[in-house]
Amino acid sequence: MKKALSILMVLVILSTLFTACAGGGQPSSAPPPAGSTAVTPEPSADPNAKVKPDSPINVGVTCPYSGFVAALGENLVKGIQLGIEVEGRQDDIKLFIEDTKMEAELAVTKLDSLKQKDNCKFLIGSVTGHEGDAQAEWLKKNPDVIFMPGYSAPQDMTMRNYSPNMIRAGWTADQVMFHYGQYVAKELGYKKIISVGADYSYPWGQAAGFCRGFMENGGEQIEYIWYPEGNLDFSSIMGKLQGMAGQYDAVFLNDGGATIISFWKAWEQYGMNKVFPQLIGGTNVADVNVLTEVSEGFVGVKSAGHYVDGSDIPANQEFIKKYTEKFGTSPDAVSVQGYDTIRCIIRGLDAVGWKTDDLNAIIEAIVSQKVTDSPRGTFFFDEFHNATQNVYVKEVILDANGNLQNKIVKTFENVSQFGPYDAYKEQYMSMPPDARDYPYTTKDAYMKDIEKYLGKDYVDELVKNGGWK
Amino acid sequence: MKFLKNTARLKQAGFIVLLLFLVSIPVFSTQFFLTMMIRYMYFGLLTISFSFLAGQLGLFSLMVPVSFTITAYTIAICQVKNIMPLQLSLPLGFAIALIFAAVCGVMVNKTKETSFLMLTLVLSQLVWSIALQWTDLTNGSTGLLGIQFPEALNIFGDKPNVNQYYWTFILFGICIVLVWLLTRSSYGMRLRGIRDSESRMIALGYNTAALKWSAFMISAVISSVSGILFLYYTGMISPDLMSMNSSNQALISSILGGTNSIIGGSVLGTVINRTLELTLSGITKRYALVTGLLFLTVILVIPDGLTSVFERFKRGRKEGGELK
Repeated sequence: MKKALSILMVLVILSTLFTACAGGGQPSSAPPPAGSTAVTPEPSADPNAKVKPDSPINVGVTCPYSGFVAALGENLVKGIQLGIEVEGRQDDIKLFIEDTKMEAELAVTKLDSLKQKDNCKFLIGSVTGHEGDAQAEWLKKNPDVIFMPGYSAPQDMTMRNYSPNMIRAGWTADQVMFHYGQYVAKELGYKKIISVGADYSYPWGQAAGFCRGFMENGGEQIEYIWYPEGNLDFSSIMGKLQGMAGQYDAVFLNDGGATIISFWKAWEQYGMNKVFPQLIGGTNVADVNVLTEVSEGFVGVKSAGHYVDGSDIPANQEFIKKYTEKFGTSPDAVSVQGYDTIRCIIRGLDAVGWKTDDLNAIIEAIVSQKVTDSPRGTFFFDEFHNATQNVYVKEVILDANGNLQNKIVKTFENVSQFGPYDAYKEQYMSMPPDARDYPYTTKDAYMKDIEKYLGKDYVDELVKNGGWK
Repeated sequence: MKFLKNTARLKQAGFIVLLLFLVSIPVFSTQFFLTMMIRYMYFGLLTISFSFLAGQLGLFSLMVPVSFTITAYTIAICQVKNIMPLQLSLPLGFAIALIFAAVCGVMVNKTKETSFLMLTLVLSQLVWSIALQWTDLTNGSTGLLGIQFPEALNIFGDKPNVNQYYWTFILFGICIVLVWLLTRSSYGMRLRGIRDSESRMIALGYNTAALKWSAFMISAVISSVSGILFLYYTGMISPDLMSMNSSNQALISSILGGTNSIIGGSVLGTVINRTLELTLSGITKRYALVTGLLFLTVILVIPDGLTSVFERFKRGRKEGGELK
């Protein structure tokens, strides 16, 4: 009897907990409350009155809410919520948010759940590379939804593995690195680089894009050091780097998140800034969440990306202001992606009158738009549904308040995912996909390899011009 | 006596109804329910392979997902790299997983309790880091993707997932029946003898080392089967499946359901655990807290798991009946 009583009590406690949590979790699953910034015109008074759907459109979001990239997932959702608010569509879009725990199997099952249980026709996908790859594979079996990646950036999702219902309002790992490689080779004048990076598909892609730009513009050699993903102890790598110091010009750090912070600590501890010039980095090395944690020695770190937090275009200033007002934290590139992605969906729906019957019409409406008021500048979609956009070389500076911030050093306008190979799309896609040991990292082997795919004329042109024009 | 006979018949009838229900699920159920059922089955088998050791021998092995992943990886690598067809890679996957389990079995069975737990944890982490770092072969953290369900097995119509459901169901059923028979055989008795007092079993003349090793192998076989089911349903395999979390999920499911009731407990625990995982996170961000509290409560209040509640109910009825 006593046992039964205690079981009953546990059930009661649990059920209250459930309801309490359900109440507490409301903001994440329901549209955010109307904020002061949202301008909702009176439907009857305005001739351009908004078309309303009969019932709210379900949009599913899968992102890691737990684990060491939880911050990315959270910022993605915040960006999405702000986007809905800015467009004044709180009543017309219902968000369903699912945690993937950063596991590929769960990420796919959650997509199943969102599609089959919650009837979501629009899915905003995951943040990390391996989840994204798995979800892209899932998408091939599910042509009846529209999928937009949350942040993950493997190139082939919108290239060699292209599926029409995948639209990426983001970027590919290679896209933002091609011209940065050129910048490093030409303007910084480095010939030999050591690339230190995490050993998985996203850094491979970044290294590949960098390698192409670097090799074709006068770079001679890249030496790779790969460490396991999530590595936090860099002492052995620092020792190795010290030994290589005389023979190489600079170190290129190719990872993101917490690893950068520990890498930087080790870098300063071992006095590496005495033997190497200031670090250069991949896209995520100088992310906002890194900048708040590292020392002022980080000033001068150069990296490249499609979004610069310190960019002074009005759309960005306005975005940062609204975001900080609403959430009390600073946005980063993943927030921008959430913000842009949901606005692309909303505007696509606007164009088709919020009718969701004809999926192809919506896809067409989304990819034919040109977004001019994104915090990162203007972007539009290419025929493989990836955003063509400006790529910025950015540098870390100390702003007036003593905070670290990125500023734009150089802008490359309207870079597509093929970068400098826009005229050679077919040939580019006939090359093997990015891998940890491809493209080749010595000048001779690299040139021989591209001659095979891009033709002798292309290589001759490169030699004649000393790089890209 | 008559009353007992009736319950036996009642049990039979219930069993047949359940079987019919499971077989007919694809006919009427929604797509989502089918997805969930398949998922319960492949993770259920993984939990069974954990519970088999835990319930029969009292050994908590954190390396059950190892056979699961080795088999799946072998088949996936053979398919992705076009090394050999399924007919050959399937036995090869089993063979590699079982050879590895056999070697590990000899090692870990020299230990008991905490040291057994630690040793299996170390071994599973070892294989996990190999899968993560041998990127040429395993493709690192991305894992291997795009494994197609074999065309030749599409014999249950062409509705999506129906073929996968029936094949999963068949293999799941076979494994369950085998485990059920094993636990009821004299072999199962011997294993439980070891669980209760190994020294007494040795004194009785049993070769306990061999018995423990064989149980370890049976658990590995079940885990391998679930790996195959997983691979062909999801079409992918990645190191996540061998991480600490994966072992923990098997452990949590098993303890929720009750380790002593191997089949019922595993299935019940897996269903609860995996359902919560899918449905709670849509409701609250703090769903892990809810699962954690549930786990804590079950351990504190009913340490023998949820199935023990039914057992107690049944025993209570028997005690009140004519037998005692």
